[in-house]
Amino acid sequence: MSGHVSPIREPLVQGHKSYHDITEDLCAPTERKPSAAWVIGIIISLSLLGFGLFCIAWTIWHGIGTWNLNRTIGWGWDITNFVWWIGIGHAGTLISAILLLFRQKWRTGVNRAAEAMTIFAVICAALFPGIHVGRAWVVFYFFPYPNTRGPLWPNFNSPLLWDLFAISTYFTVSLLFWYTGLVPDFATVRDRAKGFRRKIYNFLSFGWTGSAKHWQRWEALCLVLAGIATPLVLSVHTIVSFDFATSVIPGWHTTIFPPYFVAGAIFSGFAMVLTLMIITRKLFNLENYITIGHIESMNKVILVTGTIVGVAYLTELFIAWYSGYVYEQFAFFNRAVGPYWWSYFGMMFCNVISPQVFWKRSWRRNIALTFFVSIVINIGMWFERFVIIATTLAREYLPSSWSYYSPTWVEIGIFIGTIGLFFTLYLVFARVAPVVAIAEVKSILKTAGDQYTGPDAIHSHHGHGDHHDHSHAMGLAANTDHHDHSDGGHLDLSSSTASSAIASSAVAEETVSIETESEAADGPRIRSTVGPDDLKKIEGIGPKISELLNAGGINTFAELADTSVERLKTILTEAGSRYQSHDPGSWPEQASLARDGKWEELKDLQDRLDGGKFV
Amino acid sequence: MTYEFSGKSKMWLLIGMVVGAVCLGLSWFSGDDGLHTRFWSNFLHNSVFFTGIALMAGFFMCCSITAWAGWYVVFKRVWESISMFLIIGIPLMLLIGVTVALHMNHLYHWADPTMIDPTHENYDTIIAGKSGFLNTKWYIGGTVVFGLIWIFFLSRIRSISLAEGQTGGDGFEKHYGIRKYAALFLPFAGFGSAAMIWQWIMSIDAHWYSTMFAWYTGASWFVSMIAITILILQYLKGKGYYDEVSTEHFHDLGKFLFAFSIFWTYLWFSQYMLIWYANVGEETIYFKERVTKYPVLFYANLVINFVAPFFILMRNDTKRKMGSLGFVAGLVLFGHWLDFFLMIKPGVLHTAHLAGGDHGGGHGHDHGHGHDVAHGAHESVFELGFTIPGLLEIGTFIGFLCLFFFFVFTVLSRVPLISKNDPYIEESLHHHT
Repeated sequence: MSGHVSPIREPLVQGHKSYHDITEDLCAPTERKPSAAWVIGIIISLSLLGFGLFCIAWTIWHGIGTWNLNRTIGWGWDITNFVWWIGIGHAGTLISAILLLFRQKWRTGVNRAAEAMTIFAVICAALFPGIHVGRAWVVFYFFPYPNTRGPLWPNFNSPLLWDLFAISTYFTVSLLFWYTGLVPDFATVRDRAKGFRRKIYNFLSFGWTGSAKHWQRWEALCLVLAGIATPLVLSVHTIVSFDFATSVIPGWHTTIFPPYFVAGAIFSGFAMVLTLMIITRKLFNLENYITIGHIESMNKVILVTGTIVGVAYLTELFIAWYSGYVYEQFAFFNRAVGPYWWSYFGMMFCNVISPQVFWKRSWRRNIALTFFVSIVINIGMWFERFVIIATTLAREYLPSSWSYYSPTWVEIGIFIGTIGLFFTLYLVFARVAPVVAIAEVKSILKTAGDQYTGPDAIHSHHGHGDHHDHSHAMGLAANTDHHDHSDGGHLDLSSSTASSAIASSAVAEETVSIETESEAADGPRIRSTVGPDDLKKIEGIGPKISELLNAGGINTFAELADTSVERLKTILTEAGSRYQSHDPGSWPEQASLARDGKWEELKDLQDRLDGGKFV
Repeated sequence: MTYEFSGKSKMWLLIGMVVGAVCLGLSWFSGDDGLHTRFWSNFLHNSVFFTGIALMAGFFMCCSITAWAGWYVVFKRVWESISMFLIIGIPLMLLIGVTVALHMNHLYHWADPTMIDPTHENYDTIIAGKSGFLNTKWYIGGTVVFGLIWIFFLSRIRSISLAEGQTGGDGFEKHYGIRKYAALFLPFAGFGSAAMIWQWIMSIDAHWYSTMFAWYTGASWFVSMIAITILILQYLKGKGYYDEVSTEHFHDLGKFLFAFSIFWTYLWFSQYMLIWYANVGEETIYFKERVTKYPVLFYANLVINFVAPFFILMRNDTKRKMGSLGFVAGLVLFGHWLDFFLMIKPGVLHTAHLAGGDHGGGHGHDHGHGHDVAHGAHESVFELGFTIPGLLEIGTFIGFLCLFFFFVFTVLSRVPLISKNDPYIEESLHHHT
């Protein structure tokens, strides 16, 4: 990611946000009282969850007979729901890892929520294998434990066992990835919190101080986890597909299943991300961070993956005919026009036809339509799994065993319960953690903020590059580009101020605002001529210090230029210990340049300064 | 700066093409089979390989345009030029289709009309069942229709891109135009490549089928395309062109080579594992043939196309050094050529054996055989040019490669190497990985 940004790119952070604004906006949902909408949401979610728990208890108490599964159709809603939830859990890691590798900056707006969603979806999914065995108290048979009960071992040849490993690995890595990203943001929240709340967030942030060493280790960890997570995105649904494809059941045994399941999983995951993000941005006023541009990008992913899934459906259908294998041919004939034709039709319509509306740009950017289609796709992907599982089983080799299956209220209740669980977890998460990654959004601000790029940019030159190019040089970890000091060995001044700011101590927060302003020093917007000057343009002065100086009778650049360094030091010392680390040595000199309107020279000077100090 | 296709380079490439033509010509006379199977299968093998590379260059370029990628723009003329090779590749495939229709060769088992004649002793119910798709009308029609569609979109994109390079404009109208064509091209490439791969390659083993096959083959083309792009760019840099293409760009191409080598392996494994695990005779025959009769190629395929790029390119620095990157690019290009060899030759040889390998030409009508592949047991003997590539195959590969380079460099030399009006050009010029 270079500092050069094509003028054709749409800004990803709207509203001329400064670093401080970003902190304020993104921490706000965790700091204010919950809104009525949130309270209503959590009540509904908890009610659904409660009903689900009741149904699970009912199943365990009365036995699996409370479900309508039968000898022919041994997997019904349970495994359909399991695969559906696992699929939804794919978008998060895709966004965190693969889009990170592809340096897609728009991921920063949605990655946090998507990763959280991944974890919650996997929790919902993991529920089903546990209860579908009927006797939940022997569920430890799933695990390869030291055998004390005779020759009974988990079958290592079975994809069902591989699935256990795949999903638990995926869950662990996704959790680590998500939590690692949260650490600096928890520190940001901590630094703004008081009392007991501060203690909790301090604990959650592992005592993060934002030192260069912390950032360096954090970056290294993110890279390692991204490297591990990338193959995992493929492996999990691949192995879920093995659950079916290793069999010899027509309709299940087909070699395209692994990549087709993965594409379908990404498809459904993105649909769920869209559903959630459209609600979230509205509920928490995050329209400047999750922009229409983000939604458009996700809709493109939906269109692409939906069409890939379409290719796979047609490939299966065609090869079933081509195979010349009558059972295979019948399986697909049965899917399309058999007793479950409606689910096949629903699958085709929702997953292949409906995303095609996104060929049109204005429809990709239409929020109501996007929301509607995302729901349709969520339903369609559920149908897909139902088609694969129940429809196929219903017509087996032996016509005398043919059967039909529809769920009982218990099975439906458990599914509803997982939806309640999912939204409960998500709503709680959105209250306690910044739902958009603060540090990562900050890292793209200068290349994707609308004051720097796009039609509303206040910079005069295109591409917004040259002089602060260095602050964006970076490795794979797009999310960390402000903190990368390895670039070419030159001391990277603005980058170090930025990282200390993202480290989010209140003091450093100020430094950053200045840095932002100083970047814009050659722009017309902030060139004031009358009245009090904006002292924050002096590198080293932030909003708080600016107030202190104003209180001390220094309101203009001229006044600051005429103030001695000793007096400035006195002002700072009197204000308290937290300001003592500031060195006002360069401020009068900077101010005199500002007073005379020598912005270019000021810029040069500031480029040589480190946080307002002479190096 | 414009690439100057020097007379010396042309001469060397022409020499390579002559070598290829001689080798291909010699293979006409090789072997004792009157069907010239070695000649035709070499012709098919190389045509399909390089046609696919051209298609994948267009495909990846359109993906990048659609995804708003900026990094590659500095060398986008190379991909545009590679994609234009379809103008040569599609006629070559068409030529194969026509010769199949005229029974000038016997590459495809299904092309024998007696197979679908219920009154004939050669009647094969499976092939008869597939004859709605496996016939020369579909073969030729698909090649022409999809070929024309692909060529249409890719040459439109190239001509708009060239116009953009000349006139530019602040409004990026030309770029928006390119975006439209690029997005529309993708489904045609996606659906069309699958359909044509079934026709061109999978139908060689006419009884066998695998839903994965089209994507697997596409991945093989894709890796080859990345490899050949790296080689072309290294050559041009060596000649003093493309100063702007930096280590960063090669690093990214190296990452793609690494990642898609793994992706190819993923598809290879998924296909192999599912067929092995389910152990259905109609499916396992494909791999059983290859493991037992072509073990060298079977394992070399995995070593060259997975183990080597995986371990060599895993490190950061090997993707950034020209030597190691170029070595792996050359290796996997050859490796995927071998992969296609292994896809095509066993089936072709089997078909030739079934057709009788009769010395007098003809199509083996009069040779009644058990057409059930599962017990189509002919004695397994080593045959150079089939069991492993012989010198004639290598020579033919060199010839096609030189033809490919000759065409690509000719196209490339007509316009400036860098499109300075592309909206992403600054990003690409200042690309950092």
